[in-house]
Amino acid sequence: MSFARPARCVFCSFTRAAAPVPRVARRQFHPSLAPLQNRKPKYPNVKAPEEGSPDAGKRVLKPEHFEAYTKEDKDRLAKEYTAAQMDAIAAGESAIDPKDMADQFRPRDDPMKFKYLDDFSVIEPGIDRHVRAPESNSDYDFKLKSEDDFVDDFSRFFAEMPDDASGADFVRFADELRLTHGKEENELNPHSSLVPDLFGPGETVDEPRTEEKKSAAERGEKERSLVAEEMTDALKSLLLATGYTERQVSELRTKTLVAHSVTNQTRLGKVRRAYRLSVAGNGNGLLGIGEGKSDEAADAKVQSVYRAIRNMQPVPRYENRTTFGDVKGKVGAVELQLMHRPPGFGLRTQYLIYEMCRAAGIHDLSARVNRSRNKMNTVKAAYQALMSQKDPEEVARARGRKMVDVRKVYYAGKT
Amino acid sequence: MSLVNLAAALQNSGYISSVVRAGPTPPPAHPILGYPTAENVEPITRENVASRRLWLGLKYWRNESVLGKITMVSKPTRRITLDVESLRRIVRGDEAQHVAGLRSPGESLYISTDRGILEARECVEKKMGGLVLCRVGA
Repeated sequence: MSFARPARCVFCSFTRAAAPVPRVARRQFHPSLAPLQNRKPKYPNVKAPEEGSPDAGKRVLKPEHFEAYTKEDKDRLAKEYTAAQMDAIAAGESAIDPKDMADQFRPRDDPMKFKYLDDFSVIEPGIDRHVRAPESNSDYDFKLKSEDDFVDDFSRFFAEMPDDASGADFVRFADELRLTHGKEENELNPHSSLVPDLFGPGETVDEPRTEEKKSAAERGEKERSLVAEEMTDALKSLLLATGYTERQVSELRTKTLVAHSVTNQTRLGKVRRAYRLSVAGNGNGLLGIGEGKSDEAADAKVQSVYRAIRNMQPVPRYENRTTFGDVKGKVGAVELQLMHRPPGFGLRTQYLIYEMCRAAGIHDLSARVNRSRNKMNTVKAAYQALMSQKDPEEVARARGRKMVDVRKVYYAGKT
Repeated sequence: MSLVNLAAALQNSGYISSVVRAGPTPPPAHPILGYPTAENVEPITRENVASRRLWLGLKYWRNESVLGKITMVSKPTRRITLDVESLRRIVRGDEAQHVAGLRSPGESLYISTDRGILEARECVEKKMGGLVLCRVGA
């Protein structure tokens, strides 16, 4: 590609046609073809107002939107903040002109805006520092109990044991049994410089907030129970079998690829049923296919999708984008070949294999389907081919020879 | 002899565990290694050389054969010789002179050269061409 302006015929400029825009640009001493000036553009011109200019649709803010705190607001703030902090807030308020705020402040809606609203008052596990037990819990003079102490503990337990003692009594005793002499907190909740266990998702150490969360969770549970009443038995058993939540299941990529009807010839006549074949994947290396058959088409579809989700298995992916080597699959008369491709190549395959790759999270692949192109068998053969990939590590181990991925060597093992 | 050389090349690449010339019965396996070695095989003499067979120790890994598939490239009626430039293309995964590239992990091509039977990648390293014998794997 040349960035220099092509040389133009000097004499042509004298004999130029009178037309304001010549159909063909001036003669160019350039190997590439001159484009026609009045050619239709390849893409329709998108006008700015249609597309939405940067300022279109934005809420216009006025100084009235930034009013000073009222007396009530201040009272409410005073409950949370100290007097010094209140002074700082007042100073900040007075320092900024509401007109400036109206001019300059606007909620971000650019592509780089934050995708979430973070609540910095809640401790997020893994991000924030954990609250540890206070140092006063430590007891540096603790002593481990001796065997005699334990004998005493056990003898006391048996002496105080009620007549109708059960296993639960012993479990309670064993739980309460302490192993050290000294401060109780030192053993049960010691101060540690190490990071304690992480919280569960959504769990916080903020007491009132946990209460809030609890009520929200309860509300959520109620909603969930409402949904559960609507949930079909099939979905329930799917959730039970896979361990996914309903939300996770709905986020999976599913697609029904094959749909036709099948007939069973009985002495009463032909019995038609609907057949559906679906694929399911998480877009990140899991793929499954499922078949469903039912009198009702919708039922068959649901059946096939759920079976596909149950059948999801990890697909080996090279660099999370393509296959390890070229693979072949054969089901019936369908013989196909999946070929690995370089980054950015895309999925140049027929639509059935394209959808499967989309679901599995494969981004660079080409395929060739030979002999028959039966849809059902194509999907099955493609699945077979994807699953028949050989892991280079395994090949190396089987042959007892070292194999090195040169791409990883070139970029300091980073890709 | 060429067959022995090819078998040795396959063993060198790790596709087979042992190559032994022995009699009509399978040679005894080494007690520790588990495959026959040259030590416990009767020596080849002028008397028994005609009855010798080539015993190859096949390898298996996770219930699958290591030497999965081996196909002839050159045929007696159509021999294919490749120069270094074509071999380079094949090793990189492109097709050259109607010989498909090596595009799968663990795939190799054996070339008969004037320095013995070599793997295609070795040939490229040594800048040698030759007669293509067979393709292993994939």
